[in-house]
Amino acid sequence: MKRAITLGAIAIFLTIASIWMGRASYSWFPPQASAEAILYDDLFSILTAIGTFIFLGVTLAIVYNIIFYRVGRYDTSDGPPIEGNVRLEILWTVTPLLIVIGLATASYQTYDKMNLHGPTEIAHLPQVIEPAYADTGMTAEPMTNVEVDSKQWAWVFRYPEKNVTSTELHLPVNQRAHFELRSQDVIHGFYIPAFRVKQDIIPAKTIDFEFTPIREGKYRLRDSQYSGTYFAAMQADVVVESPAAYKDWLNEAAKQTPTPAPNQAASEYARREQKEDSAGWKTVVPAPAPMVNYHP
Amino acid sequence: MTSSESAIDNVELTRSLEIPATHEHEEDNRMLGFIIFLLSESVIFLSFFAGYIVYKTTMTDWLPAGISGLEVREPAINTVVLVSSSFVIYIAERFLHKENLWGFRFFWLLTMAMGSYFLYGQAVEWMGLEFGFTSGVFGGTFFLLTGFHGLHVLTGVLLQAIMLIRSFLPNNYAGGQFGVESTSLFWHFVDVIWIVLFILIYVWQ
Amino acid sequence: MTTTTPQDLIPKTPPNWRKYFSFSTDHKVIGIQYIVTAFFFFLLAGVFAMIMRGELITPEPDLLDRTVYNGLYTMHGTIMLFGWTFPVLSGFANYLVPLMIGARDMAFPRLNAVAFWMIPVVGILLILSFLVPGGPAQSGWWAYPPQSLQNPTGNLINGQFIWLLAVAISGVSSIMGALNIVTTIIRMRAPGMGWFKTPAFVWTVLAAQLIQLYGLPALTAGAVMLLCDLSVGTAFFDPAQGGNPVLFQHFFWFYSHPAVYVMVLPVFGIFSEVFPVYARKPLFGYKIVAVSSLIITGLSGIVWVHHMFASGTPGWMRVVFMASTMLISVPTGIKVFAWVGTIWGGKLRLDTPMLFAMGGLINFVFAGITGIMLSSVPIDIHVNNTYFVVGHFHYVLYGTITFGIYAGIYHWFPKMTGKMYYEGLGKLHFYLTFAGTALNFLPMHPLGLMGMPRRVASYDPEFAFWNVLASLGGFLLGISTIPFILNMVSSWTSGKPAGNNPWKAIGLEWLISSPPEHENFEEIPVVVAEPYGYGKDEKLTENMGG
Repeated sequence: MKRAITLGAIAIFLTIASIWMGRASYSWFPPQASAEAILYDDLFSILTAIGTFIFLGVTLAIVYNIIFYRVGRYDTSDGPPIEGNVRLEILWTVTPLLIVIGLATASYQTYDKMNLHGPTEIAHLPQVIEPAYADTGMTAEPMTNVEVDSKQWAWVFRYPEKNVTSTELHLPVNQRAHFELRSQDVIHGFYIPAFRVKQDIIPAKTIDFEFTPIREGKYRLRDSQYSGTYFAAMQADVVVESPAAYKDWLNEAAKQTPTPAPNQAASEYARREQKEDSAGWKTVVPAPAPMVNYHP
Repeated sequence: MTSSESAIDNVELTRSLEIPATHEHEEDNRMLGFIIFLLSESVIFLSFFAGYIVYKTTMTDWLPAGISGLEVREPAINTVVLVSSSFVIYIAERFLHKENLWGFRFFWLLTMAMGSYFLYGQAVEWMGLEFGFTSGVFGGTFFLLTGFHGLHVLTGVLLQAIMLIRSFLPNNYAGGQFGVESTSLFWHFVDVIWIVLFILIYVWQ
Repeated sequence: MTTTTPQDLIPKTPPNWRKYFSFSTDHKVIGIQYIVTAFFFFLLAGVFAMIMRGELITPEPDLLDRTVYNGLYTMHGTIMLFGWTFPVLSGFANYLVPLMIGARDMAFPRLNAVAFWMIPVVGILLILSFLVPGGPAQSGWWAYPPQSLQNPTGNLINGQFIWLLAVAISGVSSIMGALNIVTTIIRMRAPGMGWFKTPAFVWTVLAAQLIQLYGLPALTAGAVMLLCDLSVGTAFFDPAQGGNPVLFQHFFWFYSHPAVYVMVLPVFGIFSEVFPVYARKPLFGYKIVAVSSLIITGLSGIVWVHHMFASGTPGWMRVVFMASTMLISVPTGIKVFAWVGTIWGGKLRLDTPMLFAMGGLINFVFAGITGIMLSSVPIDIHVNNTYFVVGHFHYVLYGTITFGIYAGIYHWFPKMTGKMYYEGLGKLHFYLTFAGTALNFLPMHPLGLMGMPRRVASYDPEFAFWNVLASLGGFLLGISTIPFILNMVSSWTSGKPAGNNPWKAIGLEWLISSPPEHENFEEIPVVVAEPYGYGKDEKLTENMGG
């Protein structure tokens, strides 16, 4: 009886702690700036709660034994010769199995809902579940189309609609955005943490990618696949704005003649070349600063 | 202690370690070790084959410009020679079992000749090709697969040469025939790999 | 516990440190050679890590040139894996397997020595690559093409070339070691030692080495093709010539994910040996713990694409590999629960090996949970290639594997040297290491969730806070090795004699003198009982007691 109460109390404590951690996990992320981010954070919260339960459970079990089963100073006897317990062993084989089947199912549903596309060279998963943008009352159309051109070490975004190029990514809010990802040299990674999306860009290939921004603001786009010397500097700003502001920006940019955009890699390299006694090793020369209609 | 003393120590150590501890089962251990090695080695070939299949099935223009395909007739003859040499080496082994050393040497030498003919045939084929190792993925995979396999054939022939020389040493096979058996096994392995390779590269065009 | 008793055997041969610098074929000498050599590489790669943490203490790239940072992080990873983790565990396998199975040496003693002497060559090559024009390889330990093929100097002998050479030599050494160990375990177990009387450590070593045998050749194939691309100009992975760079990733991860299990399985084995001794209870569910290692060997071969969820992989492939990856947590979970079951209600002795094993277990549970998160495709898409992954695998490689190695070193130190280590220094080492691990690697998780990519020499100021913490943790880990080194050196030279079996542990290695004689066993033991018979008052062997 006493044991049941103790176990019950521990279970309640673990449950409360896990739920609390699951809730807290939402605060560990950048703002939820895309429809996909909402799905993402929900799934992560569930995983955090389950993970907390298991972690605290195992840790408490160890701590409990350290406190209550530490051997006495002059005690040289052995513990009880328990070699195992078949029922317990089956229990802790089957329970994790059921948990991971559940997690795999939940993950699959979330992934399918995100509907990110990505490389589809061999086969394509059938779309079983309504995509995420459907939840927010949007349809797939109208889409913003952007061609993303990556090179060592610069991002250039091209809007084929107006033939505008920019080093800052502008997107209208609440509208599905479609990207054609390309790379001129090595593998780069297209990664916007606030949107919880990422896709490697394979050279000599065009990769389709989609997501839906839902929150106005300025975010960071980073290269996520190591691309050489100035990898860390290969970043760009993402501006999500109202459809009207977006339209104005696009029209304004279309009027500008292309000028060279500031580029951190190129300018760092130029500075390094001027110094005779550079401490570094020879590097791949950065591509010249891109010529674009718009740059910040 | 001087270094020469410790060197002697080591020699003694080595001797004392190896003789009583491992000698009784050493033959069996070595054979098991060799089989494990061959299984592991086969994964390299499997990886190359897998890579070849991926390239072949996903690339849009597989053959380099101006190349219509590979000639099959000469390689087919080569294949027949190499595959039959597996039977010849088996006969050689039977002779050794019956302790007929001259029979063993004759068929062993015949195997070596057939292996060498295979290498010669492949060299002739390589010379006549219009593409090279750096001619795209097609040229790369062709030379990688045939070259890596050819290296194994060459190794096999060299091992056979060593075993042939050893057969002239007195009493060399008194304590078992691990060298001959493993060389023979290696030869069969090289043969099986070639059959898969021939089907992948020449038959499946 | 540390006094010698009359029945303790005194080694007949006087200690001779010179043998450790010779081409010895004694598995015990080779084992210690591996462990000590690896530890030097561990310190070196650790210094690299601390320099990197020094750079990352501020957001700007101010301490190092970016090329130097990239070279350092590449060498940190490469040396930690090919210079420290693999060799040190080979050292344990070499030292312990013949002792635990009642054999006089490995199946192929000379091959064993050759395999060891390749490791210093690997390390020296990697260090020398700092001196070639263009510096060492700067493409990470993945060496993804086409970035790894760029070779800005245009020289034939460049950092990437030497890197490939070193990895190839390390691969040959590992294959030699693997077929030696597998043959030894299959054929040289003492009479009476059936599979289910074989210690769990031997099972895990077998499971790990089988992975080497089927996995390494795939990496070799990929490395050969990469080398041809780099040095000859072939097209295999070069998209500009029609090649397929993603294929390299498949080759690479087909080995390099299972490689994690090559490293962690023997550590699971060390845990399984240590917990029963210091909990004074049999290993809970020994048979299923043993078999689960082989299940991991099998499953680890079909999970590699989870490293490529955000790479050039189609959706169906991502989902299939998510399922297989999650499945591998089941046999791993079995082990974790079995260890907790072993500790449960025992007579716990908190000596240093036990502290490191328990610390390692807690860290491993944490790493396992973040691992499950990473196996989920949608979760991985955000955190892939961020510091979340860096935190996760350092919890495995440092928090679990290095902790397990420390546990193993303290546990078998009396056996290997015949001397006791100083318990106080050992405990100090544990607490510093545990605190340093948490301080260094926990902050990496929030950094990753916030979106900080890995392998960056500079970062946005918003990440500064957690990076400062991680850097302090890194320096603390550096400091934590000082009591360890002091302890090892002073105990080995002037520690108290340990006797045969200072821990009153059950196992063949504890029936013989410390350190064991050449050829270990005067008479080959005949095993009659299962291992871990704590509290059962039974004899382990027919002829040697125990």
